[in-house]
Amino acid sequence: MEFKDYYQTLGVAREATAEEIKKAFRKLARKYHPDVSKEANAEARMKDVNEAYAVLSDPEKRAAYDQLGRGRHAGEEFRPPPDWDAGFEFSGPGGFGGEGADFSDFFAELFGRQAGRGARFRARGEDHHAKILLDLEDAYRGGSRVVTLRVPRVDDEGRLTVTEHSLDVRIPKGVHEGQVIRLARQGSPGAGGGEPGDLYLEVHFNPHARYRVEGRDVYATLRVAPWEAALGATVRAALPDGEVDVRVPEGSQTGRKLRLKGRGIPAGQPGDLYLVLEVVLPPARTPKARELYQAMARELAFDPRHVPGAST
Amino acid sequence: MTTQEHDALLLDDALIGLNELAGNCNVTHEWIIEHVRAGVLLDAADPDPSRWSFTSRDLLRARYLCTIERRFDANPELAGLVADLVEELERLRVRLRREGLELD
Repeated sequence: MEFKDYYQTLGVAREATAEEIKKAFRKLARKYHPDVSKEANAEARMKDVNEAYAVLSDPEKRAAYDQLGRGRHAGEEFRPPPDWDAGFEFSGPGGFGGEGADFSDFFAELFGRQAGRGARFRARGEDHHAKILLDLEDAYRGGSRVVTLRVPRVDDEGRLTVTEHSLDVRIPKGVHEGQVIRLARQGSPGAGGGEPGDLYLEVHFNPHARYRVEGRDVYATLRVAPWEAALGATVRAALPDGEVDVRVPEGSQTGRKLRLKGRGIPAGQPGDLYLVLEVVLPPARTPKARELYQAMARELAFDPRHVPGAST
Repeated sequence: MTTQEHDALLLDDALIGLNELAGNCNVTHEWIIEHVRAGVLLDAADPDPSRWSFTSRDLLRARYLCTIERRFDANPELAGLVADLVEELERLRVRLRREGLELD
């Protein structure tokens, strides 16, 4: 296990005041805020910053960490000596609530011991949160995904350790982006015989080569020939749940949306599927093709810059 | 490492109540009630908190409000404004992706 230099993570001196630590944390929390940050690995950096702040903002944890870390450097091999924390009493939460479940093994090794202390009362375990990446096809058909989570567990000696736990999750049909699915009793174990918490998984979709998703609605591009768009045609279109014959109305242009009601993500109120037309021109590579284009140019008197009703 | 099979329940098919939301976010009931009454959580709320039920979006929003308030010592209204802006940003990102575009 590598030693983590929490002062270096926050960019503050070892003598920094509580106010300076708080200021540094806020500055970095803004810099690495995952929704808006342009920094590489913003999410991972935010976890490091949170962990460092959880220790350095707590006077008891900071004092213990300072004693242990004297003369040590970030990245050096490290094992805490037995009973290194003798004389310290960590009164705050174990650090595994909220964002704490993402904290490192280093943190768990140092501050995990308190978990077993005083847990003689009955209490429900904490709920856990994680994100799950699905394919759009999972939403149409349901499916299963193996999710690997870091789970804090209290061992027989009352010591908190972080273990990896894999769950094979059956995904209900009809999930869509931003929804949450719940797995009962898959969170932290309860204390004193209490019920375990639940696991909540926030659903996100992998980008798809053909489809774009907005809520329950699904969008796809349907490429058509100029004569199919101009004269109307019935064309075959691939959908996530199979193929369908679609009527392209006469006089269609690029950008026109054809709605297939109820063919989006299936649910109690299913979404719609939109086929966005893209008129694709045949290349004018052969003499025959060039002749046809020249005939149209000659005989149609068509000026695309002056079409009635068009904006440009 | 263990592998077990588990059925996942779609949260919007089984809404959660005040107790579960408070436990899930590691906050008190009063925190939830304060944020609903401040208008930053739960769009249309019954006057009786015991009848409130929360969706996926409410759950994620409540956790987000918590994070912003803890990280920046923000008050509920400011955290609510940040959550609104982030939701709007996400909506626009989705709209861009729908049109086959991405933010730089």
